[in-house]
Amino acid sequence: MAPLVQVENLEKRFGDVCALDRVSFEIEAGEWIAIMGPSGSGKTSLINILGGLDQPTGGRVVVDGQEIGHLAERELTRYRSDKIGFVFQQFHLVPYLTAVENVMLAQYFHSITDEKEAVEALKRVGLGDRLNHVPAQLSGGEQQRVAIARALINHPKLILADEPTGNLDEANEAVILELLRELHSSGHTILVVTHSQVIGNLADRRVELEHGHLARIHVSSVGKELR
Amino acid sequence: MAPTRSMFLRILWKLLGASRGRLGLALVALASGAAVCSALLNVNLDAEKKLTQEFRTLGANVVVAPPNTGADAALTDAAVMDRIAALHAPQIIAATPFLYVAANSGTQPVILAGTWFDQAAKMNSWWKVEGSWVTSADDRSDCMAGRAAARQLGLALGSRVELRSGGHNISLKVAGIVTTGAAEDSQIFTGLGVAQNLAGLPGKVSLVQISVSGTTLEIEAVTSRLAVALTGLDVRPVRQIAAAEGSILGRIRGLIFWTIALILVLSMLGVLASMAALAMERSRDVGLMKALGGSVPRIMRLFLAEAGALGVLGGTIGFFAGALLARWIGGRVFGVAVSPRLEVFPVTIALTVAVALAGALPLRLLGRVRPAEILRGSE
Repeated sequence: MAPLVQVENLEKRFGDVCALDRVSFEIEAGEWIAIMGPSGSGKTSLINILGGLDQPTGGRVVVDGQEIGHLAERELTRYRSDKIGFVFQQFHLVPYLTAVENVMLAQYFHSITDEKEAVEALKRVGLGDRLNHVPAQLSGGEQQRVAIARALINHPKLILADEPTGNLDEANEAVILELLRELHSSGHTILVVTHSQVIGNLADRRVELEHGHLARIHVSSVGKELR
Repeated sequence: MAPTRSMFLRILWKLLGASRGRLGLALVALASGAAVCSALLNVNLDAEKKLTQEFRTLGANVVVAPPNTGADAALTDAAVMDRIAALHAPQIIAATPFLYVAANSGTQPVILAGTWFDQAAKMNSWWKVEGSWVTSADDRSDCMAGRAAARQLGLALGSRVELRSGGHNISLKVAGIVTTGAAEDSQIFTGLGVAQNLAGLPGKVSLVQISVSGTTLEIEAVTSRLAVALTGLDVRPVRQIAAAEGSILGRIRGLIFWTIALILVLSMLGVLASMAALAMERSRDVGLMKALGGSVPRIMRLFLAEAGALGVLGGTIGFFAGALLARWIGGRVFGVAVSPRLEVFPVTIALTVAVALAGALPLRLLGRVRPAEILRGSE
């Protein structure tokens, strides 16, 4: 069975600066991958390309059988809507919409809205009693849980989480990690960009980037360095 | 309601409540512009009617006379008045017969103008009259004297004037002295019957002056009807008056049109300023919506609907405020309140929505926001 994500010799240049230099790896369906590395190592460029928010200058990226490197803007929009669930470090909820409306917003841009399903998604992340609260009335951890519910609502092929616990205290970090663990065990494919060794250790594999190069891949379960 | 449409309206409602300050400013700009437009449109529609009514106090604009054969002064039958009345044309404000008779007062020659006083008063309310108008249509004991004729004959208010023509004599009391600055100043005005008897021309008139209200086109239409009904007589519009009226109305229309255009541009600038600030606020939301799979047209539809809703609200408020303003303007300018016209409502709404959408141009630039921007911060 083909991997869910295939990254082959991926390159991203901004003028003379090479953000990603011939990066190659694969992600199997149901895997939890942690992308790690210092600032400027190319993590954001990688997640932007995988999420269809940016396009590579070289190489190939195939997600769920679809090569996304040269898609037109309209096809990229459809790709993001159909296949990707984003979780951001800054939560990025729409401030004037309630928790349930923020989840429904993703449904709205995907196909049709179903408030019952959105409510169920929020209940699954433990926010059944915060449905009609706007983001300003929610704690950071609660906002991130709304973002996770929103990421899951359209049943994406790939969940991309960019430092999902970066703005949270320890207690809330634990809640979010537990949610990610649950998602993983229920078969979701997750790619997390993180500086956190804790999250890195929870992932099936750790992809480490340095100056745009793929430095190494750790397989957590056996602790074996592949490269 | 389909769930997607319901969500659209839900987001739209939240958008309208989200930036009340900036949207409030845009709404004030739109409502103010709409109020002035609504007022001017109402005034424009009413002004024509009011002005033509005003013009009709300035004298006749159509004259009916027998064709000039070059012989003695041509006369026609007074029955022409019945034929004019039979037209039942509501645009005819007044029709006044005149019989001009050469007479003498003592040794002084004078022109006698026999008329229906009530119609003449209605048509020529601008005449300056010392004393009073003779109120009865065909008064047989009073007359009115033109200022120059009164001076020439030594007449004063209440004095009597002896008139003679073709062997007939009559003595009349001067009820009013008329100043027009024109030929009327040299004439003596009597009832039509008095002039006919004095001249021995019963049932005859020299001409009929008619005051017709309406636009130039309406006046022309009535003139044509008169020409058909009064075969054998010349029906002539007084071109200078009709042209002057048309010119004034045209200028007023032009003034109102350009004022409305200017007001709309100013409103749009007000909206533009608010929307530019709003676009800055909304760029993060748009980036997020795009990241979530929102297409540019779908996102823009939300923001344009927001601007459109603002336009409808501003237009509605403006229409009612404008109706009040029009009443006030009407009172000040015409002395009569201008009644609001319902047909102005959709025009005001359409103009305000167009201005709101044009003013929302900065929001359209949000389509260029790159969603990748909002993912920054992880490295």
